Amino acid sequence: MTKEERLKKRHQAEKRFRFYGLTSIFVALLFVVILVQNIFSKGSSAFKKTVITTEIFFDQELLEIQNGASEEDIMEADFYDLMIENLIKAYPAKDRDEEDELLRLFSGDAEIEIKKAFLKDNNLIGKTITLDLTASDDIDQLHKGNYPRDLPEERRRISDFQLVIYDYFVENKKISKNFNNYFFNNGDSRDPELAGIGGALVGSFYSILICLLLAFPVAVLASIYLEEFAPKNKITDFIEININNLAAVPSIVYGLLALQILLATIQLPRSTPLVAGITLALMTLPRIIIPCRASLKAVPPSIREGALAVGASKFQSVFHHVVPLALPGTLSGTIIGLAQALGETAPLILIGMVAFVVDIPSSPVDPSSSLPVQVYLWSESAERGFVEKTSATIMMLLTFLIVMNFVAVYLRQKFEKRWN
Amino acid sequence: MSNIKIKSKNLDVFYGDKQALFDVNLDLNEKEVTALIGPSGCGKSTFIRCINRMNDVIDICKVTGNIEMDGMDINDKNLDVVALREKVGMVFQKPNPFPKSIYDNISYGPKIHGKGETKSELDEIVENSLRKSALWEEVKDRLDEPGTSLSGGQQQRLCIARAISVNPEVILMDEPCSALDPIATAKIEELIDELKKTYTIVIVTHSMAQAVRVSQKTGFFHLGKLIEVGKTEKIFKNPDNKMTQDYITGRFG
Repeated sequence: MTKEERLKKRHQAEKRFRFYGLTSIFVALLFVVILVQNIFSKGSSAFKKTVITTEIFFDQELLEIQNGASEEDIMEADFYDLMIENLIKAYPAKDRDEEDELLRLFSGDAEIEIKKAFLKDNNLIGKTITLDLTASDDIDQLHKGNYPRDLPEERRRISDFQLVIYDYFVENKKISKNFNNYFFNNGDSRDPELAGIGGALVGSFYSILICLLLAFPVAVLASIYLEEFAPKNKITDFIEININNLAAVPSIVYGLLALQILLATIQLPRSTPLVAGITLALMTLPRIIIPCRASLKAVPPSIREGALAVGASKFQSVFHHVVPLALPGTLSGTIIGLAQALGETAPLILIGMVAFVVDIPSSPVDPSSSLPVQVYLWSESAERGFVEKTSATIMMLLTFLIVMNFVAVYLRQKFEKRWN
Repeated sequence: MSNIKIKSKNLDVFYGDKQALFDVNLDLNEKEVTALIGPSGCGKSTFIRCINRMNDVIDICKVTGNIEMDGMDINDKNLDVVALREKVGMVFQKPNPFPKSIYDNISYGPKIHGKGETKSELDEIVENSLRKSALWEEVKDRLDEPGTSLSGGQQQRLCIARAISVNPEVILMDEPCSALDPIATAKIEELIDELKKTYTIVIVTHSMAQAVRVSQKTGFFHLGKLIEVGKTEKIFKNPDNKMTQDYITGRFG
């Protein structure tokens, strides 16, 4: 082989490698784009809800309360008859059957929505107002174009008559899309139009908070001790190996552990963020210790020697010099560990977070859901309304994860000090 | 003849199974510069790290024999190394300022030892230390800039100032100029000449010329043994040992 040929071959090898690299990056990007596009196209519609603009007349005869009634009286009052009388006027129905079909176009919360309007202004008796009432899931999906209306009637959840009413609403501009406040404020519900991630958000927040409070101090202290103070012998080697092993243990195993110890033995309340937080802390602990130790190890020994040489004690050299320098890496490791914990589903299913919880938890010992478990729950539901809610919840979860990772990178870059 | 400040007797050092120093007997005179020369890995650095017990940092390192400073046993297990290192400062091969401001680099030592209670006392210590290390004029207007922003030679003088700040009796220098250019080296050597009026200095160096320029006494190490020690002039002009002769004339090393 001549010199030129060999040179040519070397250049070709490099070209080939560049091509392989670019191809892999392209394939990876393609998958990300498909994933994000899929989630967005399915989920973005969940942030809007369909409302039916309806005139409500507050008839004194249908209400037991007077103008100026107190908040408690209003809460206790029955608005059901008032609701029925007003809703059936939304479309000229001929008989009881038609009225029933008309009523089914509104969400199960129509009565509460009317009551809330009265709570805001308790002098409405005798007056007429227009309210945007949440539509039922079927109308919601139909209006968003997710529901095929050209199926034969027996295979549709919406009857032909309901389609006629819908078209009448559209024609009279009585139907529109509003911001879906229920999606953020409500807990879970059997009705997709009323279901929200409020409970899951609060549950996840409590879980991650407890996880942080438990895992961060333990992990940081353990890392500092192991890295800076512990003698290097067989016991510390053994501990080190096992920390690495624990970080690789499948998360469901931590769920089983929590089920046996926290729920069965200590009898902590099931399905609560408290148990979830402790479980996630156990799981996250080794995943924080590893980056913490790595960032302590990355502080050059010359800094330690410099401090020791001016007469700092071991403790002073560690806490005045090494720890502050390792802090950015420690914090970003912690945030990434928490981000992993935020997306963890399997152990939470085992400790009962998968329960159907309507109420938004007011403390970490109330039963609750969490974001990833909510995704899991809704992904199994048949209603079309839950399909978009599943994707929308994934969007929320991904947003939190991206924000957390961004904060981690920012902290590292902003506060990392250069030596030399 | 000046007083003996530090005296080592039958000093052996082991790293695990490997013996790094063999039976070293070396006396260091007060307010004098002693240079330690020898090929790489011969134990010069190991020897000076015995003086401020920096070898404690290395788990597998074991020191036996006797080393005394003013009659105090340095190797005593009950000795407080913090107090020892307050008296014996050290400057390393590679400048290692803390990634903090110039001011904080100098004031750190006095602070932890409780010297300089007030801000003005600290200011004074910082100024004096920087003056003694001939850095004051260059940095007096930017004391709050990070120490790492200085040039290599300035960083090394900053490290010397840091060592001086706690007012030690002995300063150990482990090849302080090996990472510096000739001009910065000259400045450090000038500085060492000045400092020896106040401090006992031990300097490890690979530069024979530097040993001749700065030191009054020179020790030659080879493979962990102290081969020869004596007045610098004598070692470089008329050594007793053949090996010393070969080393200083560049026949091995």
